[in-house]
Amino acid sequence: MVTAEKRAELKATDASLIDRIVQRDESALAALYDRYAGMLSSVLNRILRDTQAAEEILQDIFYQLWRNAAQFDSSRGSLSGWLLVIARNRAISRLRRHNPASGDELNENTVVVASNLESSVAQQQLMTRVKSALDNLPKEQRAAIELAYFEGLTHSEIAQRTGDPLGTVKTRLRSAVETLKRDLHS
Amino acid sequence: MSSDHPTRAEDFDLYALGALDDAERKAFESHVASCADCAKKLAAARGRIAILAFAAPPVVPSPGVKETLMRQVIASAEGPGGSVARVHPGHAEDGGVFARWWAVLLPVAGAFALATVLLWLHNEQLDRQLADLRNTIEQQKQELAETRHQADLIAARETLVVPLWSQKGMPDAHGEGHARVLYNSKEGMMTYDGWLPSAPADKSYQLWLVPMSGAPISAGVFNPKNGEMSHMMMKLPAGVTAKAFAVSLEPAGGMPQPTGPMVLVGPTS
Repeated sequence: MVTAEKRAELKATDASLIDRIVQRDESALAALYDRYAGMLSSVLNRILRDTQAAEEILQDIFYQLWRNAAQFDSSRGSLSGWLLVIARNRAISRLRRHNPASGDELNENTVVVASNLESSVAQQQLMTRVKSALDNLPKEQRAAIELAYFEGLTHSEIAQRTGDPLGTVKTRLRSAVETLKRDLHS
Repeated sequence: MSSDHPTRAEDFDLYALGALDDAERKAFESHVASCADCAKKLAAARGRIAILAFAAPPVVPSPGVKETLMRQVIASAEGPGGSVARVHPGHAEDGGVFARWWAVLLPVAGAFALATVLLWLHNEQLDRQLADLRNTIEQQKQELAETRHQADLIAARETLVVPLWSQKGMPDAHGEGHARVLYNSKEGMMTYDGWLPSAPADKSYQLWLVPMSGAPISAGVFNPKNGEMSHMMMKLPAGVTAKAFAVSLEPAGGMPQPTGPMVLVGPTS
Protein backbone atom coordinates (compact mmCIF):
# COMPACT_ATOMS: atom_id res chain seq x y z
CA MET A 1 0.00 0.00 0.00
CA VAL A 2 0.95 3.66 -0.13
CA THR A 3 2.96 5.13 2.77
CA ALA A 4 1.36 7.62 5.17
CA GLU A 5 3.61 10.37 3.85
CA LYS A 6 2.71 9.58 0.27
CA ARG A 7 -0.99 9.43 1.17
CA ALA A 8 -0.77 12.86 2.80
CA GLU A 9 0.82 14.28 -0.34
CA LEU A 10 -1.83 12.72 -2.54
CA LYS A 11 -4.47 14.50 -0.42
CA ALA A 12 -2.64 17.85 -0.21
CA THR A 13 -4.24 20.63 -2.26
CA ASP A 14 -2.33 22.32 -5.07
CA ALA A 15 -2.41 25.56 -3.08
CA SER A 16 -0.78 23.96 -0.03
CA LEU A 17 1.90 22.31 -2.21
CA ILE A 18 2.61 25.68 -3.85
CA ASP A 19 2.99 27.23 -0.37
CA ARG A 20 5.50 24.50 0.51
CA ILE A 21 7.42 25.10 -2.73
CA VAL A 22 7.66 28.78 -1.78
CA GLN A 23 9.28 27.52 1.47
CA ARG A 24 11.74 25.57 -0.78
CA ASP A 25 10.29 22.13 0.03
CA GLU A 26 11.49 19.88 -2.80
CA SER A 27 9.09 17.07 -1.89
CA ALA A 28 6.14 19.39 -2.65
CA LEU A 29 7.45 19.92 -6.19
CA ALA A 30 7.93 16.15 -6.54
CA ALA A 31 4.30 15.65 -5.43
CA LEU A 32 3.00 18.17 -7.98
CA TYR A 33 5.15 16.53 -10.64
CA ASP A 34 3.65 13.12 -9.81
CA ARG A 35 0.19 14.67 -9.97
CA TYR A 36 0.45 16.46 -13.30
CA ALA A 37 3.46 15.18 -15.31
CA GLY A 38 1.44 12.44 -17.03
CA MET A 39 -1.29 14.88 -18.06
CA LEU A 40 1.26 17.34 -19.48
CA SER A 41 3.41 14.67 -21.08
CA SER A 42 0.40 13.39 -23.02
CA VAL A 43 -0.49 16.76 -24.53
CA LEU A 44 3.16 17.68 -25.22
CA ASN A 45 3.75 14.39 -27.06
CA ARG A 46 0.50 14.73 -29.00
CA ILE A 47 1.48 18.21 -30.22
CA LEU A 48 5.20 17.66 -30.82
CA ARG A 49 5.35 13.93 -31.65
CA ASP A 50 8.89 14.11 -30.31
CA THR A 51 9.51 12.46 -26.93
CA GLN A 52 12.79 14.26 -26.25
CA ALA A 53 11.42 17.73 -26.99
CA ALA A 54 8.30 16.96 -24.94
CA GLU A 55 10.39 15.90 -21.94
CA GLU A 56 12.60 19.01 -22.18
CA ILE A 57 9.54 21.26 -22.02
CA LEU A 58 8.00 19.18 -19.23
CA GLN A 59 11.11 19.56 -17.08
CA ASP A 60 11.38 23.26 -17.85
CA ILE A 61 7.77 23.97 -16.84
CA PHE A 62 8.23 22.36 -13.43
CA TYR A 63 11.58 24.11 -12.94
CA GLN A 64 9.89 27.43 -13.70
CA LEU A 65 7.24 26.55 -11.13
CA TRP A 66 10.00 25.86 -8.58
CA ARG A 67 11.67 29.20 -9.26
CA ASN A 68 8.58 31.39 -9.44
CA ALA A 69 6.00 29.66 -7.27
CA ALA A 70 5.68 32.74 -5.04
CA GLN A 71 4.15 34.63 -7.97
CA PHE A 72 1.42 32.06 -8.49
CA ASP A 73 -1.86 33.24 -6.98
CA SER A 74 -4.09 30.20 -6.38
CA SER A 75 -7.09 32.43 -5.69
CA ARG A 76 -7.02 33.79 -9.26
CA GLY A 77 -6.92 30.52 -11.13
CA SER A 78 -6.12 26.83 -11.01
CA LEU A 79 -2.64 25.39 -11.23
CA SER A 80 -3.76 22.47 -13.41
CA GLY A 81 -5.26 24.89 -15.94
CA TRP A 82 -2.17 27.08 -15.94
CA LEU A 83 0.08 24.07 -16.48
CA LEU A 84 -2.04 22.88 -19.40
CA VAL A 85 -2.09 26.32 -21.04
CA ILE A 86 1.65 26.81 -20.64
CA ALA A 87 2.44 23.31 -21.91
CA ARG A 88 0.30 23.79 -25.00
CA ASN A 89 1.65 27.30 -25.71
CA ARG A 90 5.25 26.17 -25.42
CA ALA A 91 4.74 23.06 -27.53
CA ILE A 92 3.00 25.02 -30.28
CA SER A 93 5.68 27.73 -30.21
CA ARG A 94 8.28 25.02 -30.65
CA LEU A 95 6.28 23.27 -33.35
CA ARG A 96 5.86 26.49 -35.30
CA ARG A 97 9.36 27.68 -34.48
CA HIS A 98 8.06 30.81 -32.78
CA ASN A 99 9.97 32.38 -29.96
CA PRO A 100 8.97 30.89 -26.64
CA ALA A 101 6.28 32.80 -24.77
CA SER A 102 7.79 35.92 -23.31
CA GLY A 103 6.90 37.79 -20.17
CA ASP A 104 5.64 36.55 -16.90
CA GLU A 105 3.62 33.46 -17.73
CA LEU A 106 2.61 32.92 -14.12
CA ASN A 107 0.70 36.18 -14.02
CA GLU A 108 -0.40 36.47 -17.62
CA ASN A 109 -2.34 33.28 -17.97
CA THR A 110 -5.07 33.22 -15.40
CA VAL A 111 -6.96 30.02 -16.09
CA VAL A 112 -10.05 28.84 -14.28
CA VAL A 113 -10.81 25.12 -14.68
CA ALA A 114 -14.26 24.16 -13.43
CA SER A 115 -13.17 20.62 -12.45
CA ASN A 116 -10.77 19.86 -9.62
CA LEU A 117 -8.00 17.79 -11.23
CA GLU A 118 -5.95 17.14 -8.10
CA SER A 119 -6.62 13.39 -8.08
CA SER A 120 -5.77 10.87 -10.79
CA VAL A 121 -9.34 9.57 -10.63
CA ALA A 122 -10.71 13.06 -11.42
CA GLN A 123 -8.25 13.34 -14.33
CA GLN A 124 -9.34 9.92 -15.60
CA GLN A 125 -13.01 10.85 -15.38
CA LEU A 126 -12.42 14.10 -17.23
CA MET A 127 -10.48 12.24 -19.93
CA THR A 128 -13.47 9.97 -20.50
CA ARG A 129 -15.85 12.95 -20.68
CA VAL A 130 -13.63 14.95 -23.06
CA LYS A 131 -13.14 11.98 -25.39
CA SER A 132 -16.84 11.25 -25.40
CA ALA A 133 -17.70 14.93 -26.09
CA LEU A 134 -15.25 15.04 -29.02
CA ASP A 135 -16.55 11.71 -30.35
CA ASN A 136 -20.03 13.22 -30.44
CA LEU A 137 -18.97 16.15 -32.65
CA PRO A 138 -19.52 15.91 -36.43
CA LYS A 139 -16.31 14.68 -38.07
CA GLU A 140 -15.43 18.02 -39.72
CA GLN A 141 -15.95 19.97 -36.49
CA ARG A 142 -13.77 17.56 -34.55
CA ALA A 143 -11.03 17.81 -37.19
CA ALA A 144 -11.16 21.62 -37.06
CA ILE A 145 -10.95 21.66 -33.24
CA GLU A 146 -7.97 19.26 -33.31
CA LEU A 147 -6.15 21.34 -35.94
CA ALA A 148 -6.62 24.45 -33.81
CA TYR A 149 -5.83 22.87 -30.44
CA PHE A 150 -3.06 20.41 -31.26
CA GLU A 151 -1.45 22.21 -34.21
CA GLY A 152 -2.14 25.81 -33.21
CA LEU A 153 -3.77 26.76 -36.52
CA THR A 154 -5.98 29.85 -36.91
CA HIS A 155 -9.23 29.98 -38.92
CA SER A 156 -7.39 31.04 -42.09
CA GLU A 157 -4.66 28.43 -41.67
CA ILE A 158 -7.23 25.67 -41.20
CA ALA A 159 -9.08 26.84 -44.34
CA GLN A 160 -5.79 26.78 -46.24
CA ARG A 161 -4.89 23.33 -44.89
CA THR A 162 -8.27 21.69 -45.58
CA GLY A 163 -9.22 23.63 -48.71
CA ASP A 164 -12.56 24.59 -47.14
CA PRO A 165 -13.95 28.17 -47.42
CA LEU A 166 -12.96 30.43 -44.51
CA GLY A 167 -16.61 31.06 -43.57
CA THR A 168 -17.25 27.31 -43.34
CA VAL A 169 -14.25 26.82 -41.05
CA LYS A 170 -15.40 29.69 -38.80
CA THR A 171 -18.91 28.23 -38.55
CA ARG A 172 -17.54 24.75 -37.77
CA LEU A 173 -15.28 25.98 -35.00
CA ARG A 174 -17.96 28.23 -33.52
CA SER A 175 -20.46 25.34 -33.47
CA ALA A 176 -17.84 22.98 -32.04
CA VAL A 177 -16.91 25.24 -29.10
CA GLU A 178 -20.61 25.88 -28.39
CA THR A 179 -21.35 22.13 -28.33
CA LEU A 180 -18.31 21.32 -26.20
CA LYS A 181 -19.20 24.08 -23.74
CA ARG A 182 -22.71 22.64 -23.43
CA ASP A 183 -21.60 18.99 -23.17
CA LEU A 184 -18.66 19.47 -20.84
CA HIS A 185 -19.82 22.28 -18.60
CA SER A 186 -23.59 21.97 -18.35
CA MET B 1 -12.67 48.43 -31.13
CA SER B 2 -11.17 48.29 -27.69
CA SER B 3 -14.33 49.62 -26.04
CA ASP B 4 -16.62 47.02 -27.67
CA HIS B 5 -17.32 43.85 -25.78
CA PRO B 6 -16.89 40.70 -27.88
CA THR B 7 -20.25 40.23 -29.57
CA ARG B 8 -20.58 36.49 -29.00
CA ALA B 9 -19.84 34.32 -26.00
CA GLU B 10 -17.89 31.84 -28.15
CA ASP B 11 -15.33 34.54 -29.05
CA PHE B 12 -13.68 33.92 -25.68
CA ASP B 13 -13.31 30.19 -26.42
CA LEU B 14 -12.11 30.86 -29.98
CA TYR B 15 -9.48 33.27 -28.65
CA ALA B 16 -8.37 30.75 -26.02
CA LEU B 17 -8.19 28.12 -28.75
CA GLY B 18 -5.88 30.42 -30.75
CA ALA B 19 -8.20 30.29 -33.76
CA LEU B 20 -8.69 34.04 -34.26
CA ASP B 21 -6.69 35.58 -37.08
CA ASP B 22 -4.31 38.49 -36.37
CA ALA B 23 -6.73 41.44 -36.70
CA GLU B 24 -9.48 39.76 -34.66
CA ARG B 25 -6.98 38.63 -32.05
CA LYS B 26 -5.46 42.10 -31.63
CA ALA B 27 -8.89 43.75 -31.29
CA PHE B 28 -9.90 41.14 -28.72
CA GLU B 29 -6.68 41.54 -26.71
CA SER B 30 -6.92 45.30 -26.77
CA HIS B 31 -10.42 45.14 -25.27
CA VAL B 32 -9.73 42.44 -22.68
CA ALA B 33 -6.66 44.32 -21.40
CA SER B 34 -8.94 47.09 -20.14
CA CYS B 35 -12.11 45.17 -19.22
CA ALA B 36 -12.08 43.23 -15.95
CA ASP B 37 -15.39 41.53 -16.73
CA CYS B 38 -14.13 40.16 -20.05
CA ALA B 39 -10.78 39.16 -18.47
CA LYS B 40 -12.76 37.02 -16.04
CA LYS B 41 -14.74 35.44 -18.89
CA LEU B 42 -11.49 34.77 -20.71
CA ALA B 43 -10.01 32.96 -17.67
CA ALA B 44 -13.03 30.63 -17.68
CA ALA B 45 -12.77 30.11 -21.46
CA ARG B 46 -9.06 29.26 -21.11
CA GLY B 47 -10.06 26.60 -18.58
CA ARG B 48 -12.73 25.18 -20.90
CA ILE B 49 -10.28 24.95 -23.79
CA ALA B 50 -7.34 23.73 -21.66
CA ILE B 51 -9.11 20.48 -20.79
CA LEU B 52 -9.21 19.47 -24.47
CA ALA B 53 -5.67 18.28 -23.65
CA PHE B 54 -7.33 15.20 -22.22
CA ALA B 55 -8.14 14.06 -25.77
CA ALA B 56 -4.42 13.25 -26.19
CA PRO B 57 -3.42 9.57 -25.80
CA PRO B 58 -1.79 9.04 -22.39
CA VAL B 59 2.02 9.14 -22.46
CA VAL B 60 4.02 8.38 -19.31
CA PRO B 61 7.22 10.48 -19.12
CA SER B 62 10.43 8.53 -18.54
CA PRO B 63 11.59 8.44 -14.87
CA GLY B 64 14.76 10.29 -15.90
CA VAL B 65 12.84 13.55 -16.35
CA LYS B 66 11.85 13.73 -12.68
CA GLU B 67 15.32 12.66 -11.62
CA THR B 68 16.96 15.43 -13.68
CA LEU B 69 14.41 17.99 -12.49
CA MET B 70 15.02 17.17 -8.82
CA ARG B 71 18.80 17.35 -9.31
CA GLN B 72 18.36 20.75 -10.97
CA VAL B 73 16.14 21.92 -8.10
CA ILE B 74 18.53 20.71 -5.41
CA ALA B 75 21.48 22.31 -7.20
CA SER B 76 19.62 25.63 -7.45
CA ALA B 77 18.66 25.46 -3.75
CA GLU B 78 22.28 24.97 -2.76
CA GLY B 79 23.30 28.16 -4.54
CA PRO B 80 26.71 28.95 -5.90
CA GLY B 81 28.55 27.41 -2.90
CA GLY B 82 30.66 28.84 -0.11
CA SER B 83 33.50 31.21 -0.52
CA VAL B 84 37.08 30.15 -0.11
CA ALA B 85 39.30 32.16 2.27
CA ARG B 86 42.16 33.96 0.53
CA VAL B 87 45.67 34.09 1.96
CA HIS B 88 47.80 37.17 1.36
CA PRO B 89 51.45 36.09 1.60
CA GLY B 90 52.86 39.48 2.65
CA HIS B 91 56.53 40.43 2.18
CA ALA B 92 59.10 38.23 3.93
CA GLU B 93 61.93 40.50 2.79
CA ASP B 94 60.64 43.30 5.06
CA GLY B 95 62.67 41.66 7.83
CA GLY B 96 62.35 42.24 11.60
CA VAL B 97 59.51 41.10 13.90
CA PHE B 98 56.94 41.08 11.10
CA ALA B 99 59.13 38.82 8.98
CA ARG B 100 59.50 36.38 11.84
CA TRP B 101 55.75 36.46 12.50
CA TRP B 102 55.09 35.83 8.82
CA ALA B 103 57.54 32.97 8.90
CA VAL B 104 55.39 31.34 11.57
CA LEU B 105 51.96 32.48 10.41
CA LEU B 106 52.32 31.80 6.70
CA PRO B 107 52.55 28.00 6.93
CA VAL B 108 49.74 28.02 9.54
CA ALA B 109 47.53 30.19 7.32
CA GLY B 110 48.38 28.01 4.30
CA ALA B 111 47.49 24.87 6.18
CA PHE B 112 44.29 26.50 7.43
CA ALA B 113 43.30 27.57 3.88
CA LEU B 114 44.06 24.11 2.55
CA ALA B 115 41.97 22.52 5.30
CA THR B 116 39.11 24.95 4.53
CA VAL B 117 39.18 24.06 0.85
CA LEU B 118 39.31 20.33 1.59
CA LEU B 119 36.45 20.60 4.07
CA TRP B 120 34.41 22.62 1.61
CA LEU B 121 35.01 20.08 -1.16
CA HIS B 122 34.12 17.26 1.20
CA ASN B 123 30.96 19.09 2.22
CA GLU B 124 29.98 19.60 -1.43
CA GLN B 125 30.50 15.89 -2.05
CA LEU B 126 28.36 14.97 0.97
CA ASP B 127 25.62 17.34 -0.20
CA ARG B 128 25.63 15.70 -3.62
CA GLN B 129 25.48 12.24 -2.05
CA LEU B 130 22.63 13.37 0.19
CA ALA B 131 20.71 14.72 -2.80
CA ASP B 132 21.27 11.43 -4.67
CA LEU B 133 20.08 9.46 -1.64
CA ARG B 134 16.96 11.62 -1.33
CA ASN B 135 16.17 11.00 -5.01
CA THR B 136 16.78 7.29 -4.66
CA ILE B 137 14.56 7.07 -1.57
CA GLU B 138 11.77 9.00 -3.30
CA GLN B 139 12.05 6.75 -6.36
CA GLN B 140 12.09 3.60 -4.22
CA LYS B 141 9.04 4.77 -2.28
CA GLN B 142 7.16 5.16 -5.53
CA GLU B 143 8.35 1.82 -6.85
CA LEU B 144 7.32 0.16 -3.59
CA ALA B 145 3.87 1.75 -3.71
CA GLU B 146 3.49 0.61 -7.32
CA THR B 147 4.71 -2.92 -6.53
CA ARG B 148 2.31 -3.22 -3.61
CA HIS B 149 -0.54 -1.98 -5.71
CA GLN B 150 0.42 -4.44 -8.43
CA ALA B 151 0.55 -7.28 -5.88
CA ASP B 152 -2.96 -6.37 -4.72
CA LEU B 153 -4.05 -6.29 -8.34
CA ILE B 154 -2.56 -9.73 -9.06
CA ALA B 155 -4.16 -11.19 -5.94
CA ALA B 156 -7.62 -9.94 -6.88
CA ARG B 157 -9.81 -12.81 -8.12
CA GLU B 158 -11.24 -10.89 -11.05
CA THR B 159 -7.83 -9.79 -12.44
CA LEU B 160 -7.02 -11.13 -15.89
CA VAL B 161 -3.42 -12.13 -16.68
CA VAL B 162 -3.01 -11.93 -20.45
CA PRO B 163 0.25 -12.94 -22.22
CA LEU B 164 0.95 -10.97 -25.40
CA TRP B 165 2.32 -12.83 -28.43
CA SER B 166 4.68 -11.53 -31.11
CA GLN B 167 3.03 -11.27 -34.50
CA LYS B 168 4.63 -12.82 -37.56
CA GLY B 169 7.40 -10.67 -39.01
CA MET B 170 7.29 -8.29 -36.03
CA PRO B 171 9.99 -7.66 -33.39
CA ASP B 172 10.26 -10.51 -30.90
CA ALA B 173 9.14 -9.98 -27.30
CA HIS B 174 11.88 -12.40 -26.15
CA GLY B 175 9.65 -15.41 -26.50
CA GLU B 176 6.31 -16.43 -25.20
CA GLY B 177 5.03 -14.80 -22.05
CA HIS B 178 7.72 -12.10 -21.93
CA ALA B 179 5.10 -9.45 -22.39
CA ARG B 180 1.96 -9.54 -20.35
CA VAL B 181 -0.94 -7.41 -19.24
CA LEU B 182 -2.74 -7.56 -15.90
CA TYR B 183 -6.20 -6.08 -16.14
CA ASN B 184 -8.78 -5.50 -13.47
CA SER B 185 -11.91 -4.22 -15.21
CA LYS B 186 -13.71 -3.49 -11.95
CA GLU B 187 -11.07 -0.96 -10.92
CA GLY B 188 -10.03 -0.06 -14.46
CA MET B 189 -6.42 -0.78 -13.44
CA MET B 190 -3.99 -2.19 -15.96
CA THR B 191 -0.29 -2.96 -15.97
CA TYR B 192 2.01 -3.88 -18.85
CA ASP B 193 5.42 -5.54 -18.55
CA GLY B 194 7.45 -6.60 -21.54
CA TRP B 195 10.60 -6.46 -23.62
CA LEU B 196 10.66 -5.02 -27.09
CA PRO B 197 13.54 -3.62 -29.15
CA SER B 198 13.73 0.19 -29.46
CA ALA B 199 11.15 1.67 -31.82
CA PRO B 200 12.51 3.44 -34.95
CA ALA B 201 13.31 7.15 -34.36
CA ASP B 202 9.99 8.49 -35.68
CA LYS B 203 7.85 5.76 -34.10
CA SER B 204 6.49 4.79 -30.69
CA TYR B 205 4.84 1.65 -29.37
CA GLN B 206 1.24 2.12 -28.26
CA LEU B 207 -0.71 -0.23 -25.99
CA TRP B 208 -4.41 -0.81 -26.68
CA LEU B 209 -7.32 -2.35 -24.83
CA VAL B 210 -9.70 -3.86 -27.40
CA PRO B 211 -13.17 -3.89 -25.80
CA MET B 212 -15.90 -6.43 -26.55
CA SER B 213 -17.63 -3.70 -28.52
CA GLY B 214 -16.50 -0.31 -29.76
CA ALA B 215 -13.18 1.16 -30.79
CA PRO B 216 -9.82 0.26 -29.16
CA ILE B 217 -8.89 2.38 -26.14
CA SER B 218 -5.35 3.75 -25.94
CA ALA B 219 -3.65 2.64 -22.74
CA GLY B 220 -0.37 4.48 -23.22
CA VAL B 221 2.59 5.18 -25.48
CA PHE B 222 6.09 3.96 -24.68
CA ASN B 223 9.59 4.03 -26.13
CA PRO B 224 11.67 1.20 -24.64
CA LYS B 225 15.45 1.25 -24.69
CA ASN B 226 17.07 -1.83 -26.19
CA GLY B 227 17.42 -4.59 -23.63
CA GLU B 228 15.39 -2.81 -20.96
CA MET B 229 12.05 -3.95 -19.68
CA SER B 230 9.10 -1.60 -20.06
CA HIS B 231 6.74 -1.33 -17.14
CA MET B 232 3.60 0.76 -17.17
CA MET B 233 0.66 1.07 -14.84
CA MET B 234 -2.40 2.99 -15.95
CA LYS B 235 -5.96 3.75 -14.95
CA LEU B 236 -8.63 3.22 -17.60
CA PRO B 237 -12.39 3.76 -17.42
CA ALA B 238 -13.77 1.12 -15.00
CA GLY B 239 -16.19 -1.56 -16.16
CA VAL B 240 -14.88 -2.12 -19.72
CA THR B 241 -14.79 -5.82 -20.67
CA ALA B 242 -11.67 -6.56 -22.70
CA LYS B 243 -11.65 -8.85 -25.73
CA ALA B 244 -7.91 -8.50 -26.28
CA PHE B 245 -4.85 -6.35 -25.64
CA ALA B 246 -2.40 -5.30 -28.32
CA VAL B 247 0.74 -3.26 -28.92
CA SER B 248 1.05 -1.46 -32.26
CA LEU B 249 3.83 0.59 -33.86
CA GLU B 250 2.58 4.16 -34.39
CA PRO B 251 3.99 7.59 -35.37
CA ALA B 252 5.98 9.04 -32.43
CA GLY B 253 3.68 10.27 -29.67
CA GLY B 254 0.86 7.84 -30.54
CA MET B 255 -2.44 8.08 -32.39
CA PRO B 256 -6.08 8.32 -31.25
CA GLN B 257 -6.77 4.96 -32.96
CA PRO B 258 -4.38 2.22 -34.18
CA THR B 259 -2.96 2.91 -37.64
CA GLY B 260 0.27 0.90 -37.68
CA PRO B 261 1.14 -2.79 -37.65
CA MET B 262 0.29 -4.91 -34.59
CA VAL B 263 3.49 -6.07 -32.87
CA LEU B 264 2.00 -7.98 -29.94
CA VAL B 265 -1.50 -9.31 -29.48
CA GLY B 266 -3.09 -11.15 -26.55
CA PRO B 267 -6.71 -12.32 -26.60
CA THR B 268 -8.35 -12.60 -23.19
CA SER B 269 -9.81 -16.04 -23.94
